[in-house]
Amino acid sequence: MSAAPVFADQSDRTHQIGSKLKCMCGGCDQAAGKCYHVGGSYSGPCETAKTILKEIDQYIAQGKSDEQVLQAMIAEYGPLAYVEPPKTGFGLVAWLMPLVYLLAGTGLVILIMKRWRKRSPAMAPAPAGAPASGSVHVTRELLERARELARRETEE
Amino acid sequence: MDVFGSFALILAFVCALYAFGGGIVAILTRHPLLIKSARQAGMAVCGLIWISTLSLVYLFFSDNYSVAYVVSHSNRDLSTFFKVAALWSGQEGSLLFWSFLLAIYVFSVLFTYRNKNGELMPYVGVILAGVQLFFLTISNFVSSPFKVLGVANAAGGMDLVARSDGNGLKAVLQYPEMVIHPPNLYSGYTGFTIPFAFALAALLARYPGEKWIHLTRKWTMIAWGFQTLGILLGAHWAYAVLGWGGYWGWDPVENASLLPWLTGTAFLHSVMMQEKRGMMKVWNVWLVFMTFMLCILGTLLTRSGVVSSVHSFAQSSIGNWFVGFLCIVLGVCLTAYFKNKDYLKSENQLDSLVSRESSFLFNNLVLLVACVAVLSGTLFPVFSEWFTGSRISVGAPFFNKVNIPLGLLLLFLTGVGPLLAWRKTSAESLKRNFQWPTTAGVAAGLIGFVSGFHEMFSLICLILSAFVATTIVQEFYRGARVVRMRTGASWLTSWVDLTLRNTRRYGGYIVHFGMVMIFVGLCGQAFNKETEKETPMGSTVSIGGYDLLVQSMDQKQEKNYVADRMIVEVMKDHKPVMMLYPERRNFPADQESGTMVAIYSTLREDLYVVYAGMNPQTNLPTIHVFINPLVKWVWWGGMVVVMGTLVALLPNRAAVVVLTRTEAPAAAPEFRGMRPAQVTLREGHD
Repeated sequence: MSAAPVFADQSDRTHQIGSKLKCMCGGCDQAAGKCYHVGGSYSGPCETAKTILKEIDQYIAQGKSDEQVLQAMIAEYGPLAYVEPPKTGFGLVAWLMPLVYLLAGTGLVILIMKRWRKRSPAMAPAPAGAPASGSVHVTRELLERARELARRETEE
Repeated sequence: MDVFGSFALILAFVCALYAFGGGIVAILTRHPLLIKSARQAGMAVCGLIWISTLSLVYLFFSDNYSVAYVVSHSNRDLSTFFKVAALWSGQEGSLLFWSFLLAIYVFSVLFTYRNKNGELMPYVGVILAGVQLFFLTISNFVSSPFKVLGVANAAGGMDLVARSDGNGLKAVLQYPEMVIHPPNLYSGYTGFTIPFAFALAALLARYPGEKWIHLTRKWTMIAWGFQTLGILLGAHWAYAVLGWGGYWGWDPVENASLLPWLTGTAFLHSVMMQEKRGMMKVWNVWLVFMTFMLCILGTLLTRSGVVSSVHSFAQSSIGNWFVGFLCIVLGVCLTAYFKNKDYLKSENQLDSLVSRESSFLFNNLVLLVACVAVLSGTLFPVFSEWFTGSRISVGAPFFNKVNIPLGLLLLFLTGVGPLLAWRKTSAESLKRNFQWPTTAGVAAGLIGFVSGFHEMFSLICLILSAFVATTIVQEFYRGARVVRMRTGASWLTSWVDLTLRNTRRYGGYIVHFGMVMIFVGLCGQAFNKETEKETPMGSTVSIGGYDLLVQSMDQKQEKNYVADRMIVEVMKDHKPVMMLYPERRNFPADQESGTMVAIYSTLREDLYVVYAGMNPQTNLPTIHVFINPLVKWVWWGGMVVVMGTLVALLPNRAAVVVLTRTEAPAAAPEFRGMRPAQVTLREGHD
């Protein structure tokens, strides 16, 4: 004996489209394809979610593409029904933001790297107290500093 | 006991006020006695917070239903185990619990460094006291856990009343993970207060050098380890309890916990730039400031309900206090920075584009972009409402699309970065280091493609995972080979010896390896399957090669709930594999119910079975079955990460290189061919 499916058509496609649409029951903040009502007495999809999934099924039966089904559902339930921000109008800002961060960040890193590259690798000038003679006078601080640098870069 | 607890809490507030105010005066006057008394007041704050918290725990244990918080979060039938968890199941208690954990850190810091770092510690003490003061203000005057129940009497006053029983703990919270997940996550959140306090203190005190980083290195790792564990336990709770088949839903509160983790991870890496090369001093200070502020923001998002969330059990209007606190913290940080930024002059210079330095720069870049992207995505519905008047949904698909490429980029850097040398990497060493990892990656890609990994991101993830894992194995192999040549010990001993000699480096590799395992687990999500059926007894549900025979139902009466249980026989290829018992628990105390998922878990995949309850229309039991590939890798990877963090926390064992070298050079003939300099260098780069 086989079990009866909860939806008219139990396809993964229905679920996939359903997980891009919000369950509009107001009680959960989940997608229609993932509506389980945590804490409720029945953790299957609620009536609202089921209606949405059934509608998706019907649209699929009419031979519509995924995108067409989504558009039809958004036309019916409003833009909030789509779990992703729309790629038009203000919603586009949401999509562009991460890209802008990445580009701006990369630009910044490249700029920083360029600037650091320009710095002379020679050691910083000796402290003001050091004699200004031609020979390099190794002060105690300078030696200590060189030791410290060597220690940091090699050990541990 | 409620009076005792609230009295301790108000005393803690007074002491914190003294530690804060007195501490500032002490810094200004440099009076040694005043410094000491401010520090001791700081320690006393911790003791008083503990007393107060333990009093609240006692109120739960003694079933004192005259206290409002106990009434709303416990009942007589609640098991002792969960009465501990009830402490942080509501806002008032969790804020007190926050103070409690912070107090443990603060006490440890004040006590450990009581006779050390005399110039820095007074500042640290004041900053820590300031943070505590904020939380104590909330716990004392805004959201007290010790409020008692009362009714108005005829004389216009109030009479105390006690209820006979409480409302019980929320059903979804009555699971073992809920007893360990919040303490871990909170320990992570609060732990970042310590590096924050040291960074700010060093800046305010113009404390020279990298001392604050050395001092806070371990504290940061502890905080990071707790946070990682906390996030993973939260994910596991969502997976094993909520019954929606997944473990990460990009819920605002989940995001909030991820944000400081991302900046904290960036911080753990970029401090090495400062330690080794004296670079990025400004950046490090701001990273740790940001991490701390994101921890506070996380609490704000959880508590205030600015953005809707499944964690709505913790909502209220104290958000404004947190906004105020955040503004103060930001103000103090900005002021300290602009006043003393000259002291943060870095010795930034880059010798080569292909170097450890540049890999750290990109690591920080990716982590920060991910952090800002998640933050702005989480807040976008609010922005949208401000600008356009209507909300837009920003759900899981958005976050996945944005973060998967970033995650893969990070995974790539995990493999590349540690193999690049500081300053400059030669083409020859690039070839030597990346030959095998690249081969392994390509091989894994081919095998994956042939065996059905046709989803692009999963395939890339698989290739990169193999690549990174090989780099790590290669590092351990090479290091252990050197030790083995020198000591003649077995591979295992050499490996342990190597790890213990540079715990931070090899612990870090273990953490990286754990992250690779987690990434492998995340890959599996692309191949999830699910089905939902109404099942009369004796019917079968088939999915992914499994046949599930629903045999019967039964009912268990437990102390605090009634469990309806479905008895399911799992068969694969018509052979019985095991029995599964998915449950629904109904809690009479608050009329809530919850699921108890039954999972048959293998390294390959999880068979995840939920008993969804009786369909109210057809009165038939509904079963929801998922096939979630590779999920186990996430949990095991998490354990490896925690293990690696523990290793990194061990103090380094002193090397015995010199001894062996002078004693018996002839005994190890292979040794002659190797330049001693190479030995030192290998141990050197971290």
